[in-house]
Amino acid sequence: MTNQEESPNPEEQEPEQEKEQQSKALLQKIQQLGQSQVAQAPDSNIHILPIIGQIEGHVQLPPKNKTTKYEHLIPQLIAIEQNPKIEGVIVLLNTVGGDVEAGLAISEMIATLSKPSVSIVLGGGHSIGVPISVATDYSYIVETATMTIHPVRMSGLVIGVPQTFEYMEKMQERVINFVTNHSNISEDKFKELMFDKGNLTRDIGTNVVGEDAVKYGLINEIGGISQAMMKLNELIQQQKGYSDEKVMQ
Amino acid sequence: MIHYTPLSEHDIFEDDPTQYDQHKIVHVRGKSVKVQQLEDGSYQVVHLLSTNPQHYLDQHCMPGTILKQQDFRD
Repeated sequence: MTNQEESPNPEEQEPEQEKEQQSKALLQKIQQLGQSQVAQAPDSNIHILPIIGQIEGHVQLPPKNKTTKYEHLIPQLIAIEQNPKIEGVIVLLNTVGGDVEAGLAISEMIATLSKPSVSIVLGGGHSIGVPISVATDYSYIVETATMTIHPVRMSGLVIGVPQTFEYMEKMQERVINFVTNHSNISEDKFKELMFDKGNLTRDIGTNVVGEDAVKYGLINEIGGISQAMMKLNELIQQQKGYSDEKVMQ
Repeated sequence: MIHYTPLSEHDIFEDDPTQYDQHKIVHVRGKSVKVQQLEDGSYQVVHLLSTNPQHYLDQHCMPGTILKQQDFRD
C-alpha cells in the first residue's frame, strides 16, 4: 500500500508514452507516403500453398532448381491448422516431382489437415506431385496440365542389390497405396499406367493429360481457380454446418 | 534419398559447390523471403515464402525487389 502512495502510478504514465509513440509512427507514415492511413486488404480466410519446381528433401539441391522445401511447408501447414482465422487451403501444384519421403510427408500433412483443402494441378504434377495432388479433400486439374506416372527408380552406386531392390519396391508401394487410398483410381489401373511401355521416350510409364486424369479417377474434376474457390467455400460451409450441429447436440 | 521425378540426375545436380551459397532466407516485414546477393552487396528478392495471399501484394517482398542489408534481418 505505501509503495503505491510513494511512487506515481505506473499505469498513468504508460498511456502518455504510448500516445507519443503513436504520433511518432503517424508522422513517419506521412513523411514516407504523404498520407496517414495505408489501405490494407482484409485478412484472407483462405491460404494458398504453392508447390513448385522440385520437392526438396534431405539433400539441398543446387540453386538452378526451383524448389519447394518441406521444412518450409510443414510449419506453414501447422500454422494453417492452428490459426482460427484460416478456414481453408488451396494447394497449387506445378512440380516435376522430387524426394519421395519429403513428398509423402507433405501429402500426409495435407491429408490429415482438419480444415478443408482443394488442389489445382497447373502445368504439371509429375511423379511425387501425384500423391500431393490427391491428398486434398477435392482435386482439380486444368485441361492443359499433365501428370507423369512412372516407377520409382534410382541412379548411382548400389550396394546390396536385393536389399536395395526391396527397399525401392516398398517405397513404390507406399506411393501407390497413398494414391489409391486418396483418389478414385484402382490399384490395378494406377499400376497399369505406371508400367506402361511406349508412352515415354526414356522411361516406362504414362503421361496423363488433364481430362484423362479425371477419366481414370485420379483427379476429381477439370477446373481452374474459380471452380476451386467455389468448391473450397462450399466445403468450408459444410464444415461450419457440421460443427454447429455438434454444438447443438 | 530417392528422387521420384521424370528429370534425369544431371538436370538436377551440378558439380560447382559454390553455387549453393547464392541464396539465403531472410525476414522482411515479418515475412520469410529467399534472396540472392548481387555484385554490389545488395540483395534481390527471389521468392516469397508464405501461404497468405495478401503477402504477395506487398511491394517490398515482390520478386525482383532490391533490398539493402538494413531492410531485413537474418
